[in-house]
Amino acid sequence: MNETIVITNATIYPISSPRIENGVLTVHKGKIQQVGQDLPIPEGAYVIDAKGKVLLPGFVDAHTHIGIWGEWYGQPEYDGNEGSNPVTPGVRAIDSIWPAHFAFEDARSGGVTCVQITPGSGNVIGGETVVVKTWGTICDDMIVRNPAGMKAALGENPKGSYGSRGKAPKTRMGIASILRNALFKARDYSRKLEAGRQDPSKMPDTDLDMLSLIKVLNREIPLRVHAHRADDIVTAIRIAEEFDIDYSIEHCTDGIEIAEFLGAKKARVNVGPSMWARAKIETLNITPKTPGVLSKAGCHVSIISDHPFHPIQYLSTTAATAWANGMPEEDALRAITLTPAETLGVQDRVGSLEAGKDADFGIWTGHPFKIRSRVEAVFIEGHKVLG
Amino acid sequence: MGKPHEGFLDPRDELTTGQILLKKEVNDLGYTAIVNGTIYSASNRPDVPFRMPKGTILIENGTIKAVGERVDIPEGSEVIDVAGSIVTPGLFDAHCHIGIYEDGATDAGNDTNESSDPVTAEVRALDAINPRDVAFKDAIAAGVTCVQTDPGSANIIGGQTVVMKTWGSSVADELMIKFPSGMKGALGENPKRVYSGQDKMPKTRMGNAAVMRRALVQAQDYLRKKELAVDKPDKQPDFDLSKEALACVIRKEIPLRVHCHRADDILTAIRIAKEFDIDISLEHCTEGDKVLESVRASGFPVTMGPCLTDKSKLEVKDIGFAAPVALSKAGVKLALITDHPVFPIQYLRLSAGLAIREGMDEDFALLSITRFPAEIAGVSDRVGSIEPGKDADLAVWTKDPFEYDSKVLYTFIEGKRVYEATNGSKIGGENL
Repeated sequence: MNETIVITNATIYPISSPRIENGVLTVHKGKIQQVGQDLPIPEGAYVIDAKGKVLLPGFVDAHTHIGIWGEWYGQPEYDGNEGSNPVTPGVRAIDSIWPAHFAFEDARSGGVTCVQITPGSGNVIGGETVVVKTWGTICDDMIVRNPAGMKAALGENPKGSYGSRGKAPKTRMGIASILRNALFKARDYSRKLEAGRQDPSKMPDTDLDMLSLIKVLNREIPLRVHAHRADDIVTAIRIAEEFDIDYSIEHCTDGIEIAEFLGAKKARVNVGPSMWARAKIETLNITPKTPGVLSKAGCHVSIISDHPFHPIQYLSTTAATAWANGMPEEDALRAITLTPAETLGVQDRVGSLEAGKDADFGIWTGHPFKIRSRVEAVFIEGHKVLG
Repeated sequence: MGKPHEGFLDPRDELTTGQILLKKEVNDLGYTAIVNGTIYSASNRPDVPFRMPKGTILIENGTIKAVGERVDIPEGSEVIDVAGSIVTPGLFDAHCHIGIYEDGATDAGNDTNESSDPVTAEVRALDAINPRDVAFKDAIAAGVTCVQTDPGSANIIGGQTVVMKTWGSSVADELMIKFPSGMKGALGENPKRVYSGQDKMPKTRMGNAAVMRRALVQAQDYLRKKELAVDKPDKQPDFDLSKEALACVIRKEIPLRVHCHRADDILTAIRIAKEFDIDISLEHCTEGDKVLESVRASGFPVTMGPCLTDKSKLEVKDIGFAAPVALSKAGVKLALITDHPVFPIQYLRLSAGLAIREGMDEDFALLSITRFPAEIAGVSDRVGSIEPGKDADLAVWTKDPFEYDSKVLYTFIEGKRVYEATNGSKIGGENL
């Protein structure tokens, strides 16, 4: 690989700054060196003439299950929900990921270069999430942030997973109490750890679940709460505020019903999958208008595929549909780039085309919100991974 | 058309769509003229251009009376000026489960598969249609005016399919325009999985084919016995509802509509069709590009999709747009389908748009969601293109109907303006 790559004659959407016509992007050792117009071309650089095509940051999908869901591989490759206990904070998505899974290739084919992979929503507390690039063979080398959050779930899924087996939770109030209990237990454990540090004889036995959950109480990572229905969203925030923890709302389908409430809190919401039938009661109010209404209300809106529930290669299709239904163009582009990068806490590396960030980008034949536009080439850290 | 969907309007309509009109609010004048629109007729009649930059559609009592650049408008007509807009035929989804797999109604509203026996030729999708399925509203607001609803693919022989309009009545029989329009069949993973779970035949693909052949042979025998006993009432076989239904396939009155994703299942469907000299359509045909010449040479039509869904099982591992594009280039007659609720029906046009992105011809893409599905469903005498004599089922778009930000301004069904965009529903798509 040439250490220096220059893309010339591109229409660049840096996302963090206004569009650049006839733009130049220079890459050195996998990092973006410069973005602008009329930049000098370093000697020996590998030059790509974009011929006026569109250059965008690699897309960031803040909520996926790529590499951990069976899809056509079926049960042998299904590692999405550790559905043996409603509280499993100690499990880690990183330990389920299969980098050879075709879903990573699907992601790249749609210009998606960075994803958060979360455990499923069968458990009230599902485990640690991870942010990875979508290209590589050694999962540990693909990591951008680990852990990147703690998955939690309210509503139908945990009820369905456990209620049907005659176990708690069977109700929404049951779910909330299990979540609160776990957080209180982690708080107690944290206190015992502190006592143990003062007096080694008082050190409690190691509890991996509690050690993971303490990261949430210490605000090292947010609780990422699956919540579709408005009451579930409100419950998530009620509990997060009780414990003074950081949170993001995952799916947020009914967010459109309580947009002012969420906007006033400047909530971080990961909305989707939107192009879906009303598969469950908690998704009855699904509409492509939700991202636009929430962004106008002041929320930090990311648009998600929830792959495989909407295929990740069509992430830009979902954003285009949100734009077509009222989300401002700038917000809709941001919702699959810089906003998810911020929500995931990886904005120092990805999400926009700025000097110093990773050279993750896609070259599109036209604006991605035009249906005939397709991504022709994708780069991750300066490596051409598509095209 | 009968009574409207009473209570169809709810407070959320303003938020989710434009206005869906109740019958009493709909114009019932004799003549309606839709003027100044760009018309994509999708017609193959020599006297009707496929595309007209500016034309008039004259509707008389629900039927298209005339279409062209110069059309005399009778006095007293209601004139609707759609300058700057594009008029297409109402869109047609040739394979979906709208009405029988109710959106948002969970198991209580799911009547898709009568999976108590692998051969249930006698069941009828029409008997499971709930016209109050909320998805009909989505369809109308997205310009989809006609659908074929199929039983699911759990059974080898799944039951009779129905073609219906998406608006007009709370009575399924009054929405229906053709019944039966086909007999559902299925090969591949689904029947295997369902009946393996019940420890019954079929458990394998060879079992699938054997069950299908046995059902067809039994229907042939039944017909033969009936013919032998034409003048001997005492020799008549007992009336058999299931075999009577399959006899329609044997007599080529309706096609067997065979769910087949994988290449080998596609070939099995064609093999059985030739053995029995029956008509079939290849439903899904996901790997059709891998056996392109066999599909093309068979002459059987194809419905393809849903193309934007996940690779949830082995037989759909290569789902996407490569296959429909390849089949379209080979000249195979194909309809793009949503398989609603597998992919929501309101995004039918985006499937066609993405097919264009991947190389499908623009005219072909339009045909794949208008006239071709109408032909495949056997109702092209009434719907599928804009030409004199056909039902006035139309969609009026703010711009190129394949674009993400195109909006339906009006949907007409049988000349009635059943959907009208409100200001709220036109929001979006700024700044490009």
